[in-house]
Amino acid sequence: MTVYEVFARKTRGEALRHIGSVNAPDAALARVYAFSTYDEERWFDMWVTPRDALTEVFNVDRPVQESL
Amino acid sequence: MAELQSGAPAVAEIESAQGFADGERAALRDLILVLADSKRLLGMRYADWTLGAPELEAGIACASMAQDEWGHARQLYALLRDFGDDTEQLEHGREADAYRSLSLLDEAPASWPEVVVLNALADTALTVQFEALTSSSYLPLRQRCEKLLDEERFHLAHGAAWFRRLAGANARAREAARDATDRALPAILQWFGPEGARARIMTDAGIVDETPGEMRCRYVGRVGPLLELVGVSVPADAPDFADFREEFRRAGVATPDPAVIARLRGDRNRVFLMD
Repeated sequence: MTVYEVFARKTRGEALRHIGSVNAPDAALARVYAFSTYDEERWFDMWVTPRDALTEVFNVDRPVQESL
Repeated sequence: MAELQSGAPAVAEIESAQGFADGERAALRDLILVLADSKRLLGMRYADWTLGAPELEAGIACASMAQDEWGHARQLYALLRDFGDDTEQLEHGREADAYRSLSLLDEAPASWPEVVVLNALADTALTVQFEALTSSSYLPLRQRCEKLLDEERFHLAHGAAWFRRLAGANARAREAARDATDRALPAILQWFGPEGARARIMTDAGIVDETPGEMRCRYVGRVGPLLELVGVSVPADAPDFADFREEFRRAGVATPDPAVIARLRGDRNRVFLMD
């Protein structure tokens, strides 16, 4: 099982924002789960990505030297 | 006189049921009731799996699909006012033997693979029927198709993704999916109905733009890739229509369980309608 992070935006051109996450075994189910879980609002578009695919750039809780 | 485009036949646009001849109107009303009852039962089956699905997200998906199906059923019952029906009576005043829902929905799914088969195979049969109504001569129905079919895309995506997941998992899951498919398929193929006088009335009046055989064929094309995954083949013979009641799209005298229909109608708590 993979955690997929869900991103969406309200209007074209607006920045994507993180709106939540779903657990799914693959991208096909992650898409339908994201849709059924977060479709209460009117979105312009919605995306999912495996959490593992996100790479941290830096974190203010750690010294910059360690982060980068 | 307006010049007709060559090629595509002109489709009449009829805004009221009164615009159809008696036989056409009766067949159209039957079809709308079949679809409304089927969606109402299907919505209840989905709703029952809001709890008990294998994972939280699947339960949320069932809740969402239940909401869609009941919304569709509501709209379809409301359409029947145009045919002189009383919506309140349709939704709350009919006994189980008056229900025209897809026979496969008579029994509650006993396991998740059976829910997945309802989702991937039965819901899709209803969708194929609605696709044959997107250019219907009966405008009020045609106008409701686009949004409905848009919502159904998500249902098929969910059903197909789960069907593939079961088929690709362990032997137990695959066998459960295969058995449920084996049991469901004959009833679904029969549901599209026979060719004949009634089918011809519907196509001649431009109510639907496909014959039952054409819909069945398109349906098989759509679910074929899923059937292959569990090794189920489509029967070569045409479905048996010996005791098929075309106006109900059901065979024989079986009905949904009266207790289920009582629950669907909300009988037990109707007394609290105090206005």
